[in-house]
Amino acid sequence: MHYSSMYNVYLSNHRKTSSFSHFSSSPTTTMLLRGIISTPPLPPRLKASHNPQNATVSAQLPTTKFSISDQSLQSRGFNLRRSISDLNLDHLNSVFVAVGFPRRDTEKIRVALENTDTLLWVEYEKTKRPVAFARATGDGVFNAIIWDVVVDPSFQGIGLGKAVMERLVEELLRKGISNIALYSEPRVLGFYRPLGFVADPDGIRGMVYSRKQKKRK
Amino acid sequence: MPPCFTCCRCPILSFDCHCQLPNQLVFPYSLNYGLSRASRKIKVSHLRANFWESIRSGFVKNNTTQIIDPPSTPEEEEEPLPQEFVLIEKTQPDGAIEQIIFSSGGDVDIYDLQTLCDKVGWPRRPLSKLAAALKNSYMVATLHSVRKSPGAGENDQKKLIGMARATSDHAFNATIWDVLVDPSYQGQGLGKALVEKLIRALLQRDIGNITLFADSQVVEFYRNLGFEPDPEGIKGMFWYPR
Repeated sequence: MHYSSMYNVYLSNHRKTSSFSHFSSSPTTTMLLRGIISTPPLPPRLKASHNPQNATVSAQLPTTKFSISDQSLQSRGFNLRRSISDLNLDHLNSVFVAVGFPRRDTEKIRVALENTDTLLWVEYEKTKRPVAFARATGDGVFNAIIWDVVVDPSFQGIGLGKAVMERLVEELLRKGISNIALYSEPRVLGFYRPLGFVADPDGIRGMVYSRKQKKRK
Repeated sequence: MPPCFTCCRCPILSFDCHCQLPNQLVFPYSLNYGLSRASRKIKVSHLRANFWESIRSGFVKNNTTQIIDPPSTPEEEEEPLPQEFVLIEKTQPDGAIEQIIFSSGGDVDIYDLQTLCDKVGWPRRPLSKLAAALKNSYMVATLHSVRKSPGAGENDQKKLIGMARATSDHAFNATIWDVLVDPSYQGQGLGKALVEKLIRALLQRDIGNITLFADSQVVEFYRNLGFEPDPEGIKGMFWYPR
């Protein structure tokens, strides 16, 4: 368990109303997660000795499935949260704005989150504020799209983005959804690739509707 | 050469359809034109079936085809899209009238959908899963062909010939999946109409970001509908695609 690479931190200005993943990274290490994430999570195993005279129970280390474990995060003061119940949306909005998203109406954010099947955020224990976030929408069965992947600029570079993404993907897989997509700004393609994401597989292109763009025949 | 309407996104999945879901679809915005979603019979209320420039080229230019309504105006100026309306009406040689009806009410007979999926060549998937996917979709748009026979007292024949759906967070983003049109109805601009109506309905609900994933052979089709690939270099990415 170790913190992953150092990220280059920058803030980008985002001109659209959409909120694509937003911070850059150039990981110097690539954690091979493929084999790990694609298997279902394994609980820590307790191995009991079969020797009746020596009935000790020794706990095996939990199978490492994430780059940084929950315990490791917690020991550094970061709590993983999976519901919006204690999430202060104004604080979340501040993080969005801090990474360059346009400021969106908090109530609209609430609607969006209430209609989001899966989300994850990291709460900084000391301030109780969200410092990392990601969510996924979809049909709950076949497809999911990940949106709003953000890490507070003051907390970038220590693996929180990766921690959130790994767990979000794992949760989606656990729900049986294997078609997981997202839209990535060009500067963070390198963040998503080591997590297992591939751009334009088989020539599939992500497309976005633009009102000004429409051609008339 | 009409584009293949079978898929507008990731190649991985296809659909299997079935289930009884209609009454459970929940849409936050519903124009009540007195249409019963639970009914299998289409009640067409007279509404404006707007004539879309983009499908004009698909019309048969003879007098057996009627266009039900005046030329289109820019999207934003139009009135709210009715939930269900007649897109095309044709009189057939035997006097029967065929109507192509668009609906965003999501009233899909799952067995019909399975038949349609078979026709476009999608591998089958568990009906219950497909039903759940439809139920969890923010909007499901369909095209049905309704044939009213010339004889008196004969029942209408209704057939599902197209579908498109979108998932959404109800606030910011929507993603269109699964655009399909019955092969025998392709080439008439129905796929375009389906997607255009879906877009319009989404815009009217104030969903500002409409996205999709297009197979390479249909990128142009969607470009003509107003979609831009890789805007500002933003790339669609998939997790370990097969």
